Amino acid sequence: MIETHGLTRTFGTTTAVDSLDLRIRDGEVFGFIGPNGAGKTTTVRMLCCLIAPTSGEAYVHGLDVRDPEQALLIRGKIGLLPEMPGLYDMLSAYRNLDFYAQLYDVPKHLRAERIESLLRTLELWDRRDDAVGKFSKGMRQKIAIARALVHEPDYLFLDEPTSGLDPEAALTVRNYLLDLKKEGRTIFINTHNLDDAERLCDKVGVMKTSLLAMGSPEELAGMFWGRTSVVRLRSVTPSMVSAVRALSGVTGVKADDSTLLVDVTDPDDVNPSILRALVAQGGEVLSLGELRRGLEDVYIRLMGGSR
Amino acid sequence: MRLDRVWIVAKKDMAEFRTNKYVMFSLVLMPLLLALVLPIIYLAPFTLLSEPTQLHELDLPDSEPVVGQSFSNTHVSNMVFEDCVFTNVTAEQCRFEKCDIGQSMVRSSFLGNSTFSHGALIQSNVLNITMNSTVASDIRSIGGESESVTFLRQFINFLMLFFILIPAIIPTVIASYSFVGEKLNRSLEPLLATPTTDAELLAGKSLSIFLPCILVTWLTFLPFVLLVNFLVAPVLGFAPLPDLSWLIGVFLLAPLFCVMSIALNVIVSSKVTDVRASQQLGSLVVLPVVMLFVVSLSGLFDLGPLVMLALTALVGLVDVGIAYLTVKTFRREEILVRWK
Repeated sequence: MIETHGLTRTFGTTTAVDSLDLRIRDGEVFGFIGPNGAGKTTTVRMLCCLIAPTSGEAYVHGLDVRDPEQALLIRGKIGLLPEMPGLYDMLSAYRNLDFYAQLYDVPKHLRAERIESLLRTLELWDRRDDAVGKFSKGMRQKIAIARALVHEPDYLFLDEPTSGLDPEAALTVRNYLLDLKKEGRTIFINTHNLDDAERLCDKVGVMKTSLLAMGSPEELAGMFWGRTSVVRLRSVTPSMVSAVRALSGVTGVKADDSTLLVDVTDPDDVNPSILRALVAQGGEVLSLGELRRGLEDVYIRLMGGSR
Repeated sequence: MRLDRVWIVAKKDMAEFRTNKYVMFSLVLMPLLLALVLPIIYLAPFTLLSEPTQLHELDLPDSEPVVGQSFSNTHVSNMVFEDCVFTNVTAEQCRFEKCDIGQSMVRSSFLGNSTFSHGALIQSNVLNITMNSTVASDIRSIGGESESVTFLRQFINFLMLFFILIPAIIPTVIASYSFVGEKLNRSLEPLLATPTTDAELLAGKSLSIFLPCILVTWLTFLPFVLLVNFLVAPVLGFAPLPDLSWLIGVFLLAPLFCVMSIALNVIVSSKVTDVRASQQLGSLVVLPVVMLFVVSLSGLFDLGPLVMLALTALVGLVDVGIAYLTVKTFRREEILVRWK
């Protein structure tokens, strides 16, 4: 479990992270989204015991990040992918991973096996003996991810894992993260990529120095908007709008020439009634579904913008 | 502190150095230049141009010596003296051993291990004599401290100081590819996120700088000794190296200066906010060695074995203090947050 209470970090007169309260259960994938300078990287650095909190508490696996002895134990349990890969350019891919495997005390007989498995999974086994300085950005990012995983950590902190990658490399990384999610690892992802956050994360926190909102993508959408059914028809008449508006469980209706947007309390209860009412008014229903509000809508709303 | 982690960090850094042409360049070129090229440039012409010492062909007696007597206001010739004192004497074709000769004129003689003052010494061969207020004309030295010998000794001392300077300078170059390089590569953050302690990290990185520096210094020392001896032995009549002072200097003092240089570079690089400032300030650590150069050349004191041992003890003490300060002042957070 990752837990923070009133976690705060200031640099001089600037507050980077203000009174952050988080609770991420084991096995959860948590997405931390927010604009540049929102304090996401500072939070990860505090959780990885790289910088100390100014005030507040933070625990990883029940261990206090502020205690130097416990910080050492925490560092043994986490894998970190920083914003920049930070590889040793002159050394080979294999040597880079082997160095970290040794620092993390991976037994000698497991090191070669694990490195090979990671490099094969990330499609870099054939390039294992090449200096990573010659690698493309995507390949370097993959090596950095492999480095974060070489000791099979319980907690994985990933800062912008798909940033700057071409679509193919981003897909490989995303699929790999989905595999890790299935393995039940606790993953903390800092990202600007809302699509990634929506696809990968069980829970999302929106950060702008302080935590603005936290929950599953659906829960976050529910904070601002009710549920809306979308009905596509051959054509919409005023009588159809009136009939739907009169139904129990309907809180609002918007219409254009061929679509009805119906705000409902519970689509499972109300949708059959909507369908019957429209048919009774001579409507030819082409489709009926639910309008999905994406994380992007939530993010824009929280950041004070409009669409 | 876990020594295996120290060695893992050191091995990785040394593997990186091997592939870094700038580091290899400084590791190879500087010792080559200072320890091998410089002696050849300066000593070889000296050797080639110096003629071997030609002694006067003297017809000296081989009789039993006169021992422990005093002579004054007299003339002596064709005699052998040992432990005698002479005042206001003229002497010719005599052999003097361990004598004290004052206010006298000596011609066509041999003086060994003696003192000559306030007189004239002409067309004679000498060995280890001390002269004071003397008119000396056409004196040939069999050994001991002639002017050329004194010059060579001083110049060899000057060259030897490079063996202390090299391990102090090279760390300023390598350290910039060690601590500062990690930051430039952005590789420090994942490294600091491992369960490696500050002390292990510092020790590993320092070891990776120390080992190549000191190995290069020591490995260059052997050919230097052979080369210098080869070049100056014909002039001096003996091989001047290795002597005890410089054995202490190279094998005790030089490693301690190396440690001092590394530790100071670490402190500087963790305190300043800019990489170039770190490199420039780091290079100031050679100042104590340069001071040693100046003191040595000024002749204020001779760098004999006792002076070398005293210096070694002093630098050792300073090292302990600086090493303590390094661990105390190394702040991983500061490095991450402040370094640009």
